[in-house]
Amino acid sequence: MDKWQYLLLLGGCLLITLPLEFLGGGVYRQPRRLFRSLAPVLAVFLVWDAIAIVADVWHYNPRYVSGINVPFMPLEEFLFFIVIPICGLLTYTTVSASLRRLRQLRDKAAQRSRR
Amino acid sequence: MTGLGYTLPAVLSVIVVCVLESKVLRTGLFRKPAYWISMAIVLGFQVLVDGWLTKLSAPIVLYNERHHSGLRFPWDIPVEDFLFGWSLVTAVLLLWVKQGQPRQNGSKR
Repeated sequence: MDKWQYLLLLGGCLLITLPLEFLGGGVYRQPRRLFRSLAPVLAVFLVWDAIAIVADVWHYNPRYVSGINVPFMPLEEFLFFIVIPICGLLTYTTVSASLRRLRQLRDKAAQRSRR
Repeated sequence: MTGLGYTLPAVLSVIVVCVLESKVLRTGLFRKPAYWISMAIVLGFQVLVDGWLTKLSAPIVLYNERHHSGLRFPWDIPVEDFLFGWSLVTAVLLLWVKQGQPRQNGSKR
């Protein structure tokens, strides 16, 4: 069970943030925009991560990773760079939509009190 | 702490993201309250997730002590992780917001 720890942690992040897809403007339903936001950043961070691993700046505990590898790193580390930014995007789109809704409510209330 | 193989690139990444926004993308994201509220929420969850990944009692990620400042807070999280995380999330948010904005004048449509 231990070797799924990192993968389960990432799965938990996706699960917890999933409802935000429906509260905000949506992230998964804009796949093109998501890809174009994610891909360039992913490329840079993967290179950084690969260099850090090769240079022994950090490494991963074999006890807590699945053992499935992509070049230079465990699969989990590769997925980290996709999952975490998606969680960030879902948070931002939801907060933006909430603030917009609050502003609309406030404007409506102001209009009503002026009449 | 001799190599600074983590501290230096972590600081640099923050500078690169700031320069990218101020010189190239110019989205205005840093002036939006929604951004700062979101980052506060992200920070809260980062402490939980990163705290789990880096806890010294059963670490998933192991850091070479020579390559970071040695400062770990809160719990056992290397402080560099917060710069790393900030750059990762902010860079993606900047590109996301940029694509939602109408093109500047000078280019067609």
